[in-house]
Amino acid sequence: MAVDDAVLERLREEVGVEHTEDLGEVSPILIKRFAAAVGEQHPLYTDSDYARAQGHADVIAPPNFLTAVITWTPGAPYDSLREDGTEADTHLPGVPAQGVRIMGGGEEMEFLEPVVAGTVVTRTTVLLDVNERESRSGRMLIARYQDSYTDPAGSRLLQSVRTVLLR
Amino acid sequence: MTTTNEDFAPGSVLDGTVYPTSKVQVFRFSGATWNTHRIHYDKDYAVGEGYPDVLVQSHLHGAFLTRYCTDLAGEDGRLAALRLRVVKFAVAGEELTVAGTVTAVTALDSERALVELDLTETRGSDGETCVTGSARIEVPLARVGSTVLDAAAPMEGAQP
Repeated sequence: MAVDDAVLERLREEVGVEHTEDLGEVSPILIKRFAAAVGEQHPLYTDSDYARAQGHADVIAPPNFLTAVITWTPGAPYDSLREDGTEADTHLPGVPAQGVRIMGGGEEMEFLEPVVAGTVVTRTTVLLDVNERESRSGRMLIARYQDSYTDPAGSRLLQSVRTVLLR
Repeated sequence: MTTTNEDFAPGSVLDGTVYPTSKVQVFRFSGATWNTHRIHYDKDYAVGEGYPDVLVQSHLHGAFLTRYCTDLAGEDGRLAALRLRVVKFAVAGEELTVAGTVTAVTALDSERALVELDLTETRGSDGETCVTGSARIEVPLARVGSTVLDAAAPMEGAQP
């Protein structure tokens, strides 16, 4: 199977539909582990006391942290994972769980406010548009998803547009 | 990384920074981001997909570009925006070099300047470009070249 008219039609219905999720609290340990994994040793990301001395409530996250976390759920049971090890819920509303090959086509992030440990973050995802083109390997759909991350006061922390190529 | 005023002039080619990678790092990054895709830890799977070994995550590439930009911005600056696209894979163990070129410098107000950069990330094994991108960082006006300061306060009688 590849992308067909049914997939394109389903995606076109999805354009403009907002999906809002509560991602939960961004804990200090999540941020510190992310920084350690990257190899980032700046104390703003790794040392709570240092971050407080700089006027933050706790460590702040490296700017791309929120968008780098693939799954904010505890994780699906093993028997519902896909062959490639990923969750069936791909964070791509409208894209079928099976039968479509998904490739990253780039990301554009705007960093609006620091993400401070302890913040409860909400994400709103919307499919901005979907276009099609013929590639050498056949029909390809190009979908652009916008993710807006906000804090409980409604302040936007980060906005990201992901381009996804579907075959 | 230290920068001088001259670094933030349009056309300036900035020093690159090398980011080594390893299988342990790629594994830890998968854990820290709950990325369960086999391509990052199962070599047999990666080979079956046509790659020589497990791959660096696209978001780890993004983290290297982010580090490069936040180091450039420094404590008195900030990374405002980053755009990137992974155009070629890198296997765990590659040394990745991020480098930037300043494309534009504009005064935001009397105190702050916006520096726009083009970015590349290349892999050490063959010099191929893995990532292309661009960024916007904000820095104090004092950290950019005098041409920008002049533009921020145009001379009387200058042609529009």
